[in-house]
Amino acid sequence: MATPAALPPLPFNPSRVRSYVLRLPLFTRLVLLAIIVFWLLELQTVWSVVQWGSIIPEEAGFGTMYRLNTYPFIHLGFFHAFLNVLALTPLLERFEAEHGTLTAVALFIGPLSTLPGGAYILIEKFVLHRNTAVTGASVWVFLLLGSEAIRTFKSNPYFSLGPYKIPTWTSPLFACALVSILVPNTSFLGHMCAILVGYLLGLGALKVFVPPEKVLRWIEGKLNLLGRLPHYVSVDQKTYGRYGVLPTTTTGGERGTPMSFLGSSQPAVRKLRSNPHFLFVHLPHILSFICIVAGVVWLLLLPLNDYSRQTYISENALLPGQVHAYFSGSEQHVFRGYKKELEGILASQTEDGQEGRKDEFTPAYVVISALQSVLKAAGLKVATQNYEYTSSGITHQGQNVYAIIQAPRGDATEAIVLVAAWKTVDDELNLNGVSLALTLARYFKRWSLWSKDIIFLFPPDSETGTQAWIDAYHDMQPAFVQPLPLKSGALQGGLVIEYPFDHRFESLHILYDGVNGQLPNLDLFNTAVSIAGGQMGIGASLQEMWDHNDSYEMRLQTIMRGMVKQGFGYATGPHSSFMPYHIDAITLQPKGEGWQDEMALGRTVEGLCRSLNNLLEHLHQSFFFYLLMQTNRFVSIGTYLPSAMLIAGNFTIMAIALWLRTGYFQQNTGNSPVEKPKLTEEQQATPAADEREPKTNNTQDPATKNIKERQLALPLTLVVGLHLLGLLPLYIFNNISHTYYTTATYTSILANAVLPLLLAAFLTHGLTTQQSLLIKSFSLLILGLFLSTLATLNFSLSFMIGLLCAPLSFVNRIKPQTITGPLRYVLAALSLVLLNVLSPPVVLLGSCAYFGVDVESVLTQAAFGWDVWGVWTQVVVWCVWWPAWVTGAALVGFSLF
Amino acid sequence: MTLLSSLALLLLVALSSLTSATSDYHESLILQPLPQSSLLASFNFRSNESQESFDERHFRYFPRALGQILRHANTKELHLRFTTGRWDAESWGPRPWNGTKEGSTGVELWAWIDAVDDEAAFAKWITLTQSLSGLFCASLNFIDSTRTTRPVASFELMGDHPASSNLHLLHGTLPGEVVCTENLTPFLKLLPCKGKAGVASLLDGHKLFDASWQSMSVDVSPVCPHLGECSVQIDQTVDIVLDIDRSKRPRDNPIPRPVPAEQLVCDTSKPYHSDDTCYPLESTAEKYWSLTDIFGRTISGSCPLAEGPFHEDPVCLRVPHDRQVDVAPGAVETKKPDGFTRCFTLQPSTPFDLTIPEQETTSQVPLDEPVLRAERTIVGHGQERGGMRIIFDNPSDTNPVDFIYFETLPWFLRPYVHTLQATITGNDGLRRQVPASEFIKESFYKPAIDRERGTQLELALSVPAASAVTLTYDFEKAILRYTEYPPDANRGFNVAPAVIKLGSHDAANGPNHPIYIRTTSLLLQLPTPDFSMPYNVIILTSTVIALAFGSIFNLLVRRFVTADEASALRAQTVKGRLSGKLVAIRDKIKGKRAKTE
Repeated sequence: MATPAALPPLPFNPSRVRSYVLRLPLFTRLVLLAIIVFWLLELQTVWSVVQWGSIIPEEAGFGTMYRLNTYPFIHLGFFHAFLNVLALTPLLERFEAEHGTLTAVALFIGPLSTLPGGAYILIEKFVLHRNTAVTGASVWVFLLLGSEAIRTFKSNPYFSLGPYKIPTWTSPLFACALVSILVPNTSFLGHMCAILVGYLLGLGALKVFVPPEKVLRWIEGKLNLLGRLPHYVSVDQKTYGRYGVLPTTTTGGERGTPMSFLGSSQPAVRKLRSNPHFLFVHLPHILSFICIVAGVVWLLLLPLNDYSRQTYISENALLPGQVHAYFSGSEQHVFRGYKKELEGILASQTEDGQEGRKDEFTPAYVVISALQSVLKAAGLKVATQNYEYTSSGITHQGQNVYAIIQAPRGDATEAIVLVAAWKTVDDELNLNGVSLALTLARYFKRWSLWSKDIIFLFPPDSETGTQAWIDAYHDMQPAFVQPLPLKSGALQGGLVIEYPFDHRFESLHILYDGVNGQLPNLDLFNTAVSIAGGQMGIGASLQEMWDHNDSYEMRLQTIMRGMVKQGFGYATGPHSSFMPYHIDAITLQPKGEGWQDEMALGRTVEGLCRSLNNLLEHLHQSFFFYLLMQTNRFVSIGTYLPSAMLIAGNFTIMAIALWLRTGYFQQNTGNSPVEKPKLTEEQQATPAADEREPKTNNTQDPATKNIKERQLALPLTLVVGLHLLGLLPLYIFNNISHTYYTTATYTSILANAVLPLLLAAFLTHGLTTQQSLLIKSFSLLILGLFLSTLATLNFSLSFMIGLLCAPLSFVNRIKPQTITGPLRYVLAALSLVLLNVLSPPVVLLGSCAYFGVDVESVLTQAAFGWDVWGVWTQVVVWCVWWPAWVTGAALVGFSLF
Repeated sequence: MTLLSSLALLLLVALSSLTSATSDYHESLILQPLPQSSLLASFNFRSNESQESFDERHFRYFPRALGQILRHANTKELHLRFTTGRWDAESWGPRPWNGTKEGSTGVELWAWIDAVDDEAAFAKWITLTQSLSGLFCASLNFIDSTRTTRPVASFELMGDHPASSNLHLLHGTLPGEVVCTENLTPFLKLLPCKGKAGVASLLDGHKLFDASWQSMSVDVSPVCPHLGECSVQIDQTVDIVLDIDRSKRPRDNPIPRPVPAEQLVCDTSKPYHSDDTCYPLESTAEKYWSLTDIFGRTISGSCPLAEGPFHEDPVCLRVPHDRQVDVAPGAVETKKPDGFTRCFTLQPSTPFDLTIPEQETTSQVPLDEPVLRAERTIVGHGQERGGMRIIFDNPSDTNPVDFIYFETLPWFLRPYVHTLQATITGNDGLRRQVPASEFIKESFYKPAIDRERGTQLELALSVPAASAVTLTYDFEKAILRYTEYPPDANRGFNVAPAVIKLGSHDAANGPNHPIYIRTTSLLLQLPTPDFSMPYNVIILTSTVIALAFGSIFNLLVRRFVTADEASALRAQTVKGRLSGKLVAIRDKIKGKRAKTE
């Protein structure tokens, strides 16, 4: 056999497995099919198959007799079904081969499933008085094992282990014990019943149930089963045991002997392996496509109960809701006093500054000094910090006020931060929140139980203030941000309070997304949910899902919203700025109209502070990578990561395949490179062609199919150059003034349309097929590399970019030899237009139009994120996505020239 | 019988009169209300023992337990500190005793040991720490070589030592040590009256350790007031700052619940003031307090050993003279001429209490401005590197401050001294980068050796008037071996506070009265593995290996013989024994051959 040089011989011969599977007799096939069908049926959530078909002792009755027949087919999950199928197939196949299909049907539909089931129900219900439901084909596995063991016992009664002689019929008992120890949730009793019946079968006690051979023959003859059913094991064909007679008569005309299968399968594999076009061209495309589909399907599976988990508090020290919160009573009077005081000052301030910058509120000196005096009177150490940021020509400046409650016996090594910004995330005046923080500061000061300092921070807005403060706290501040005059220890956690309205609220909305998709420890979120819900009776919500009914759609929607926020990587609130410094923080937003007042929010914050105060270590126990679908359900990284990894993997598969292909394909004279694929395509189209053709092809191959040297210079330069060129738009979009953003977007769309064509026009002369394949290979390799790395850091961004880039795996230069004439131009132009729709600026415009936001404001926000928060979504867009896109578009563009 | 006892009494009197010149005991308590309703209580207990009786192991007021340890460890001078919390210099003014009786957070110990060389001194030092560890129920035995330093300029001898002695100074800090009642009890046992009488009877663990700041110190040093007449003096102090409001809360109900609305003090002048709206007003009046409220008990009479004609009044209160003070009957009040101090005598076995009623204040006891403010924090983030930032703020408008800055860093914090940079911020608030040598006059640096010795850095600095100097340097965090992590919850690693010694230029204090300031301790986050995972892995692999090894080992060492061989072996005949030996020899030879092959 002449195999191509690029393919080493396979170490494992799949043809044997294949032939075994192909030789499976009819009843075995049907059973396996039924098991698979029932497993697929379980995937839906409307009708519980398990509930319908498993044996439940309590429900045993005449109406539910069908369960005695259905239960072996039904399984509890993929692994249950898979393992049982694996164990059952050889046993059942042997049984059927020995006894014939009809006997097998009669026995397995009848006594062999009802007897163990009945025995189980009797013992479980009337002896043990329990009600454990059982299901699964393992009952047949053990039954057949039992009968096999009896047969072994007859020929070979003992096996000796040292001085002991162990009767061989006990072996299924060992297996049963081992299985019930190793595999959780297995029914020991059920298996024992099965083994018992298996012994009876082996001992011949069940012979009464076997239909007489005469009857069987009559049925077989009348119905001509042998002629009609494929893989049918006839009464005559049965072998009566392992050492039984080989079938002497080949009755079935269409069903050959197993040997003939072996003979026919080998050329099929050989054909596949000697068909490089399929291996190198079609298979990667199929694999890539399967990867993308599997990635998307995987994500869609996540909201199901089987793939997500209930949240739990992992750090025991947190003890959420275990303390009584005392923040009530006369503290409310103080709260109102502070609120009225601040209200009065704000009113006088707006009267003074009549020039009416209503939306552009900045707390003036008076308000800040009022804050300071309140905090000083409460006995806190107060300090201020000025800062100024400039981004896209807009200057953001402000002054942070913060105060520290020094832990009474603490040593200034740890601290908790409580933030109340003057303006909320939605740019509303957070008067109640600020007053509440002031009241809490006065109240917390009286307690002596604090083990950590508590810092109260009052930034003027939700975007810049916290960032300036936290940067300066770690001495990492830029030039126009003042250093902090007063500091405490390592920050252990942060809470942001918002309360922008005057009426009572119904539930708490918890914001948790950080900059660049970093998330706070799940324990903090869980603590907040548990304190709000368990102790205070306040419902919690997330991702703006106000009426979450815990259905699949709602869960999926919550995950999607979380992923969009995570993927964009912008700060969703003041808490987001803490995340890059590994400080866990969340924002609490009261929402809705209800009967919870500000005191309830205060008690929640008190409970949270007490929980954080309990911490002995920095939060580390629970998850940092998760997708939340409900306040009490999440998916952890191990479960969701394969989704993005599969999508990123599709590019890598394609890149590697292209690399192999460029080295393998022979480029003969001018028009032969396409000749060969065409030839192999023809072979592909007629797989039933006789074996001579590929053989002769192979014999002449070693001479012509030399390993081709790859011309790397041009592809490498192009791909690296394009990636470097990505820095240009990155610089432009982060540094020009905000007024030019719309113009810049349209310019970049135009440039994107022209650049691939220009590249194609310049490079098309003298560009070999190999080079164009190499360009694609390198580009996809870098893309796959980046995206799979990114998936571990920012899953959502990697997933989104991966999906948007998915077509790039499949676009290619349409060679003039394959499709000729105007059709090629039409096809190329069409795919170019389609690709342009998926270019970064067009996607930006499209999503802006979809969400109904202004492009300029989005880009201003993005530049602000880059300058202030350190968001690197743009780097991924311009230095990973955009170069890959340009390469793909240029490859399509080549076909035009 | 009576004759004998009276004789003995006579003898005792004679003896005591002989020794009274050098052996005595003093105790005092100074109470000083501080702003923000705090109260500073400084307890001081001082006793002497003449050098001769100390050498003859004849202890009278000096605690025998400590005396024996000091003799055994050749320690000539000992300073031990237990401190919790931080001194709020901004509100409370200068530190009590100018900071000389204060330690860094946790436990700090330094001693002068008489030894021939460094090694002998260190051996004695280990003896000392181990013994003190037992005596004071503190983890002093954890002061090993990595935590021991030999400061050059930061500490001075307090006592008078003969010039011939070869003294070595050793210093160690345990910043993470939690000071609590188990340290107080042995501390009180060192006192002659054991906390049963005298001012020490106020020291109750519950109240003492609820203080905002608290420091206990033990100083032992030889003093020679007259030439040739030397004695060993032990000076014990307890300084606490109590929150008056918190201490006054009843013990059975210590929760600071919100006060009833009618007891809320409100600013009624506010236009929005109403029954349910209240802008709280902090009262300006001095609060009512008494010793019973604050300490939960009264002073149960004077300590009989502290009485004598030369003794000053033991309890002093520093409030303005116009402040009304009620004392228990029998106590005599003496007002000092400075206008702020009044002292009281104690009667033996008569409880003493002191009550200060609520009163509008007219004058305050003036608090001195602190000479220097220092702040030391860890900056930067991440698990690999960080930076240290130390700010020295000189509030004085006229005088520069000269001082010695001393810090010890654990070996796993590796400073890059070449990155030491200085910035100065003047009155104008402008920051200027200046070479560090402009402020550092002298420096002593001893780099760390991994797992053997910590870094020691001593700098002689000078900060100009009305400016703040910021020193920064970068450091790298070492990766520890997994056994080097402490077994308890990983909060981080404590870095000992820095010690700042100001050479006093103040004429009143004299040249030999330095001021000490200590910064807060720091928490260093090191890269820490998730220990539960290796634990699980270790458990699992150990089980698997044990199972596999057990069965394989069993197979290897067990001798397999055929059944008839076995029966022959079992039969206790000469032939059987011989063949058994033969089989053993055969196996040995085979085994050996197998090994050599």
